[in-house]
Amino acid sequence: MIDQVHKYHAKLMDQGLVDTQGPVELYGLDDEIYSNLDGVSEEVTVLFGRLNINSLIIARPNQVQWAIIQELSRINHSLICPCDCESLTFIHDIPLVEHLDASEVAQALNRRKGCIVKDVGIVTTGSVSLEQAFISFSSICFATFVKFFADCINGLTGFGPRPETRTLDMLSSVMDICRPLEGVNTLSRAVPKSEDAILASLDQTGKIVVERRLVDSFFGNISYRDAGIIYISQTGSSLDELPGHIDRVPLDGSSTCELTASSELLAHVRVYERTGDKAILHGHPRFSVIMSMHGNPLSFDEKRFVADVPVVAGEVGAGRHGLVHTLPAAMEHTHAAIVHGHGTFASSPHSMHASFDSLAEIEQRCYLLYQSMVQRYL
Amino acid sequence: MDYALQVLSIDLSARTARQAGLDAEISRRYLGGRGIAAYFLSRSPTMAALDPEAPLIFATGALTGSRIPAAGRMVIAGFSPLTDTFCSCSVGGSLARELKRAGIDAMVITGRSERELMLKIEDGVVTFEESNYGTDAGLEEIFSGSKGFKGAVAAVGRAAFQGCLYASIMVDSTFSSGRGGLGRVMAAKNLRALAIKGSSRTYVCDSQAEELSRADIMRLFDAAPAIMGRSGIRNYGTGALVDLIAARRMMPTANFRRTYFEDSLAFSATRIKQSMEPGSYACHGCPIACKKKGHQEIPEYETLSHFGALNENSDLAAIIEANHICNSAGMDTITAAATIACLAEIRGERYTGQALVEKVAQIAEGTDELLPLGSARLATALGKPWTSMSVKALEMPAYDPRGAYGMALAYATSTRGACHLRAYPISHEILRKPVATDRFTFAGKARIIKIAEDLNAVVDSIGACKFAFLGASLEEYAKGFAAVTGLTYDTQDLMRIGDSIYTLERWINTQRGFSVKDECLPERFFTEAGSSGAGIEIKPIDRSAFDEALQRYYRIRACGPDGAPTRERLEELSL
Repeated sequence: MIDQVHKYHAKLMDQGLVDTQGPVELYGLDDEIYSNLDGVSEEVTVLFGRLNINSLIIARPNQVQWAIIQELSRINHSLICPCDCESLTFIHDIPLVEHLDASEVAQALNRRKGCIVKDVGIVTTGSVSLEQAFISFSSICFATFVKFFADCINGLTGFGPRPETRTLDMLSSVMDICRPLEGVNTLSRAVPKSEDAILASLDQTGKIVVERRLVDSFFGNISYRDAGIIYISQTGSSLDELPGHIDRVPLDGSSTCELTASSELLAHVRVYERTGDKAILHGHPRFSVIMSMHGNPLSFDEKRFVADVPVVAGEVGAGRHGLVHTLPAAMEHTHAAIVHGHGTFASSPHSMHASFDSLAEIEQRCYLLYQSMVQRYL
Repeated sequence: MDYALQVLSIDLSARTARQAGLDAEISRRYLGGRGIAAYFLSRSPTMAALDPEAPLIFATGALTGSRIPAAGRMVIAGFSPLTDTFCSCSVGGSLARELKRAGIDAMVITGRSERELMLKIEDGVVTFEESNYGTDAGLEEIFSGSKGFKGAVAAVGRAAFQGCLYASIMVDSTFSSGRGGLGRVMAAKNLRALAIKGSSRTYVCDSQAEELSRADIMRLFDAAPAIMGRSGIRNYGTGALVDLIAARRMMPTANFRRTYFEDSLAFSATRIKQSMEPGSYACHGCPIACKKKGHQEIPEYETLSHFGALNENSDLAAIIEANHICNSAGMDTITAAATIACLAEIRGERYTGQALVEKVAQIAEGTDELLPLGSARLATALGKPWTSMSVKALEMPAYDPRGAYGMALAYATSTRGACHLRAYPISHEILRKPVATDRFTFAGKARIIKIAEDLNAVVDSIGACKFAFLGASLEEYAKGFAAVTGLTYDTQDLMRIGDSIYTLERWINTQRGFSVKDECLPERFFTEAGSSGAGIEIKPIDRSAFDEALQRYYRIRACGPDGAPTRERLEELSL
């Protein structure tokens, strides 16, 4: 278990989720507690005693993220209700706790996978592995970031209550720092010629998507189509750890091995059918998600455009209101679309290079659009 | 609202029935379903399984009859004549709903009727009707004879009356109590069938909160590939696992001598769908509808794999016929298939195609002396006890433990013998839910298995289906539970109750003489490799790593090195 502790400690740091300003404590429990620290505090011992869990993270997010969370905590007294689709589906709401008091924190974690402790940071748990606690930590960061910016822009433009001056000051102070990362697209433009080349391409793309912070936690998925086979990331896989986690799925559904494939497999299949493309990348770029939620809520059969990209409604998966019913048609001519409150899908006919470019470029455009709207309405 | 379970106590010897509210504290402590069954069985923990006074319990869950999805199940429990352990089986169909609508949360049946009986319960009114089916009657005859009843029927078939130790109780003709031989317990009471119907509705404390919980759960079902995905169990039933388990090279083959069956495509879900175009049906209120039926019932994954790979049989028609005979006679397909595979190994033969069907028919008709006793007794009688692939005399299902070490540990620690459902580590070791774990290590697995056992004790106690947890979690079901019952239990409160229920089950088994010596896998898994290939190496399990993991599990579960719950733990839980 100590390997898991070190692995997720490194991931929290590498992905910029935490910095050195506050506590970063990770604990795994089998028959004894493993941690990145030398000792175990009384609070942690009590929490493990009171909760039927095997992993725990107590950490303060990076400075900007923490400032955003503190502002949200000030406005929302006991609970933060996320507004993006994946957070609503998987974490529902985020309890707020005043202090790192084992009894208060345990009460919050009695019903949710994570909570915010106002004077410490985020506390998350897992009952199978530390990966769950890591995912919840990352998800809470994503959910609060998106909520803060979405509430601000909707409030400023008359789609919600106008933010307080203090909130707008905060927005102004973090706007520049939150600019999407830029960099060179190092992915090959060439069509991969073999299975090994396809897998290598997916691996490289997954890593660059995470490096550029275009996806959080284990969300997002990626696939490549070749000769009747879709090579697709497995459900719950991290895009920066794809080797060994790609499923080889016959396009015609002739094998049920795809049970472990991404929950968006069917959406990928339909997009390939509509576009004839070969490479699909799905990430959760933050400003793309935020801008997709600007305005009135989108009904299931409605479509609008943000930065010239179609925005459609649709929930995760292939259910009655699943994005599988809305996304493929939207991508048929544009090869990219944003699912309302969820994330961006980008496809291309040859390699992952263009899909990645598209994903990153849409995020830049959404950020600039957000920025200009803020300047206009502030 | 007070949470006091309504319990119907029936004495078949005296032909009396009495309904009363159970003490509210006991009701809250054990919830219903499996929890309340464990409570009743713990009052006579050493009673012989077939003693007339041994209780046979039918218990619904708190969510039964509500709008919470995939919560139409209930538990049948007793002492197992096959394993002699505590035994509870989660059962689908309409029985749970009808029992609840009749105003009954749990039914405890004791005694033995002198003549074969059918119990009829209509809105709490019990009638004892003598039935004249005779011990040779097939279940089709009983179920078709009850068609005019318009309620739920649970019955035992001829396997139970002819002494098969793994006879099941069948519900609505196709749902089964499955494992452990509770059908034999029912037949020993001379009880042929239960016919139940009711007209009341489940009281829901907060219907708005119930609806919110329902919506949360449905969103998670939709997002789960294993449930609603193109190859999910909604589309294919549990047969969807055939291709995946074969690809992971952990499909038990030739009585677990191999872990890969070259002909598994013959009974893959896609092949069945193409050739039989089955339709779907479901337990009450379940949107997953995992049960599939063409012109005949489509077997579940375990049955396909064990009548297929375990017996080296690629004849799909024979698998379906074998399954049909088991359902018609009322017996557990897993134990039936595994016992035949054990016999095949002992005799150096293979029973495939029609030969397999004939062996199953011999069990159903009671014309073979040893096969109805299960593989442990059969192998012992034939002088080769090591060929029984069982734990606590319950045969292993269709996941080879060399391909999933959490499963290996869970087989050993399960309170009813080698059962995949007590902890269901396949969820994370294979299906990657809620997150993936490394299937070839014991690291961290002791606590994972303990937590999952607690969770599934809750799931079985509130009437939910384990497949629902491939998408949703107890977090969402706890909200549903609170909405329906008005009890302010959070996730962790329920988990504590799950821990208490599991500890009670272990205590019952301890009283029945079970200990660490019974919590081990057959030697084969420590000495023989599986079928490596496709870049996957299936090694024998390291015995010392297994033993260490088991001892870690005991410490985490607050048991001594012998596997018995410590006195401190029992006192802490007021057991």
